[in-house]
Amino acid sequence: MFIWLEGTPIAQWVSLSLYAYPMLLSVHIIGLAIVVGIFMMRDMRLMGFFKSLDPVAFLALSKFAWVGFIFNAISGVMLFTSQALTFAQNPAFLIKIACIIVGMVLAGLIQSRLRSELDSGAELMISRATRIVALFSLLTWTGAIIAGRLVAYIL
Amino acid sequence: MLDSIVSFVDGSALNQWIVAAYWVWPILEIIHFFGLSLLFGALLVIDLRLAGHFRRFDPVVTHSLVPIVLTGFTLNLVTGILFFFGDPLTYANNAAFLLKMILIAFAGLNALLYYWKLSPQLHTWSADTESPALAKVVAYTSLLLWTAVLLCGRLIPYVGEYLGSGN
Repeated sequence: MFIWLEGTPIAQWVSLSLYAYPMLLSVHIIGLAIVVGIFMMRDMRLMGFFKSLDPVAFLALSKFAWVGFIFNAISGVMLFTSQALTFAQNPAFLIKIACIIVGMVLAGLIQSRLRSELDSGAELMISRATRIVALFSLLTWTGAIIAGRLVAYIL
Repeated sequence: MLDSIVSFVDGSALNQWIVAAYWVWPILEIIHFFGLSLLFGALLVIDLRLAGHFRRFDPVVTHSLVPIVLTGFTLNLVTGILFFFGDPLTYANNAAFLLKMILIAFAGLNALLYYWKLSPQLHTWSADTESPALAKVVAYTSLLLWTAVLLCGRLIPYVGEYLGSGN
């Protein structure tokens, strides 16, 4: 399957064009800054830092993070096709993808928790469970960055 | 000036250490990516509020995120200087790197405008306050410049001359 993927026109374009790879990397770094930047700040807030920030506002900000995520999913898949077999066998890459999947699931979980705490109408209290989820989320994004950078070094 | 910096850096003990220790470069990159996420994430919130979006946030509160921006910047300044020490000839001759430095200088001037002209009046803003024109200009200029900084940084390995062992 990965070999087939490398033969697709998109993969050929990404690996042969002089501009495709750096262009996609450029999109990918901006998406990364938005996604990880916003999620890390949300997590720090939920863990108890920057208490004066209204955590509910992160519901709106998370939309930006999702847009960034879509950009990175698309650019990421395109980058992947160019060397699908190599990436699929790279442990750093697999760890990175695992971290991102967990991070996005936790993002959905945090979002629904914030929403239900918002709907309850009472003074917003961040539960201990939410704090722990936020800590795990922060760790997965940390892991994603570390593993993502190491993709280039582990072959 | 750049030439004298390069000749000072090239061959220095720090330069030789970074070149010799294979694990230093990836660690610096990881820290640099963290720093840029902190810087850009916090700036996104500050600047979007400054421009009049997300009025749920009190602008005085978004201003309190400035230490995150500065933490990210400091991390990246330090790791950036170490990158330069690791491969001075490549960077000094790289168009994307030089443009990136110029853009950061402009972003710094823009930040001073925020610091001197805008941050003192933030406490008078309410959720209904229309952002003044200067605030919008400063906010969008900031986002534009830092996006360009990210792009230039990512493109360093793909443009300009290669005289060193960059990757």
